[in-house]
Amino acid sequence: MKRLMQLGLTLFFMLVSSNLFAAVEDLNPEGKFKVIPALMMIALLVLFVLVGVFAKAQNTEDYWAAGRGVGQLGGGMAIASNWMSAASYLGMAGLIYLKGYFALSYVLGWTGGYVLLLVLMAGQVRRYGKYTAPDFIGDRYYSTTARLLSSLIVIVISFVYSVGQYKGIGMMFNWIFGINYQMSVFVGTGVVLAYVLISGMLGATKNMQVQYVVIVITFFLPLFFIAHKLGYFSAVPQIGYGAALWDIGHGGNGIAAASADPSYYLPFSNYTAYHWFALCITLMLGTAGLPHVIGRFYVVPRVSDARWQVVWGLFCIALVYWTAPCYAAFAKFSNLLGTAGVTIAPDAIVVNAAELAGLPEWFAGFLAAGGVSAAFSTVGGLLMAGASAFAHDIYFRVMNPNATEEKKMFIARAGTIILGVSIIIAALNPPALIAQITAVAFSLGANTFFPLFLLGLWWSRTTKEAAIAGMVVGLLVTFGSMFLPKASVLAYYIPFTSSAILGVPAVLITMIVVSLMTPEPSQEIKELLYKVHNDE
Amino acid sequence: MERDVNINFFRPVGEFMTKDVSMKKLILVIWFVSTYGFLFLLKLVADPAVTSQVTLTTGEVVTQVAGQSWLTETQFLGFPFHYWYSAQFCIALYIFLCWWYCKFIDKLEKEHSKK
Repeated sequence: MKRLMQLGLTLFFMLVSSNLFAAVEDLNPEGKFKVIPALMMIALLVLFVLVGVFAKAQNTEDYWAAGRGVGQLGGGMAIASNWMSAASYLGMAGLIYLKGYFALSYVLGWTGGYVLLLVLMAGQVRRYGKYTAPDFIGDRYYSTTARLLSSLIVIVISFVYSVGQYKGIGMMFNWIFGINYQMSVFVGTGVVLAYVLISGMLGATKNMQVQYVVIVITFFLPLFFIAHKLGYFSAVPQIGYGAALWDIGHGGNGIAAASADPSYYLPFSNYTAYHWFALCITLMLGTAGLPHVIGRFYVVPRVSDARWQVVWGLFCIALVYWTAPCYAAFAKFSNLLGTAGVTIAPDAIVVNAAELAGLPEWFAGFLAAGGVSAAFSTVGGLLMAGASAFAHDIYFRVMNPNATEEKKMFIARAGTIILGVSIIIAALNPPALIAQITAVAFSLGANTFFPLFLLGLWWSRTTKEAAIAGMVVGLLVTFGSMFLPKASVLAYYIPFTSSAILGVPAVLITMIVVSLMTPEPSQEIKELLYKVHNDE
Repeated sequence: MERDVNINFFRPVGEFMTKDVSMKKLILVIWFVSTYGFLFLLKLVADPAVTSQVTLTTGEVVTQVAGQSWLTETQFLGFPFHYWYSAQFCIALYIFLCWWYCKFIDKLEKEHSKK
């Protein structure tokens, strides 16, 4: 045992000190400890824990009884902070910076999906009355195998999604504290795990609202100064960056027409319309099929509130999504002007934008702290969703139905830690940009949960065999697309970030064909579904 | 009791579900056309003379229409119009669609005294 630990420690230090992982840019090559950003970061973490402690008494029901208007807006803020991760805060602007108009498909995909979610799922899921996505699937498809399989998919989605978040946390810790990226991942995720284990027992909803406010303030405030510094309309920088876009493409405001870069705003200059469509529809379908998003609707007392929460949630998300392209445009603009001396990494472009504009360090520190808190709020939810799929849906429902409450709690904690550690290992050498890693999680959600919920709620003939076959096909398409040789024609038509363009139709057809070949579901299932749509 | 309890999105049963589903269809059509119809339009009106070199993942380099058109060369609030449409207007439209559906379904549920 002791030797094993020694071996593990040696391996750990070898990994950390080696240059095996050179994939992530070092944002802080001089290893400078940035005092003000570090203090901001620590102050935010202390704030979150304190809010959790003081909001403890307020449970979910008190909160919903507190009055309709406030409740809906508050619920929307909770949805938004749970939703917005390092991918929204850091990753999206990075991709827009790199890929221009093409990357707007991320912005539209991650907002337009809510229309689908509201119209096709929210109310019906709430009326069906289950607690988790695997619970719904196990019940609707009357099958333990389907429940098991869907729990495994929940865990895989949490895993992939979190890898992107850990990368964001690692990069920001690297920027703030001046330790190298690999070390930052260890330190940063250690802090997240501790934070999840502490705050998991405290007032979660209140905390998510505070996190949302922090995300919005840190994301908005520096922008006024950046816009002002670069000479654009700074009262509403979300409008002001339009002129910067124009200047990037045509020249003006210090940029010579010769060095203008029209590929930044022209729609098809770097990518095809097909890829825009494939990516956008994948993200939309994935939004409507992510288990931890659907999960937010079960806890609401009234169906109407579940639906209004979507509207407010989308509004709160839109505030940030209207803003993210500003950072990309201002960074691109400064870059064309030729500001030197800043290490640029696409995934840190939000922070870079403040540096490029020549603002004092604490502005960038503000953004780095906001990015970390966006990642924290999402990782917390994901780790808990993954761990509860393991402890509740797999261990308690299938392996050991007689388990005591303590035993279940123990399994859930162990699950959180195992999941957390395996994510660290994957995040040490991240395979892609933050938003791309996250897009894979969305592809998986779109290829598995979306068709299962859609047909499960809207076609009572769907059978359990169809559900199982659908999930298997969905998994095959998602992971198959990742292992396609990069240069093949198939990889061109099914990029790994947008595999739902093929996956969802394939899964839907599989499920319909298999359903028609297997015996109909029982009368009770149909009665229940009839009630979901039509109770008198 | 001999009622039809089969649920199918394309064959709704009961007045409530029928009205609900036709509203859902309307919203989904607007949602789809406003997002992807616009993309199609951009492709359709693009100036064929303005092209760019695109390197595909297969390593092949192709020349394709870059998409310049009156939609991209008109300035609106400072923006190239298409950029404003995608980055700002579409999102606002989604919020409006969600708001519209919630208003509609609340009213319908009240009429059918559902909770």
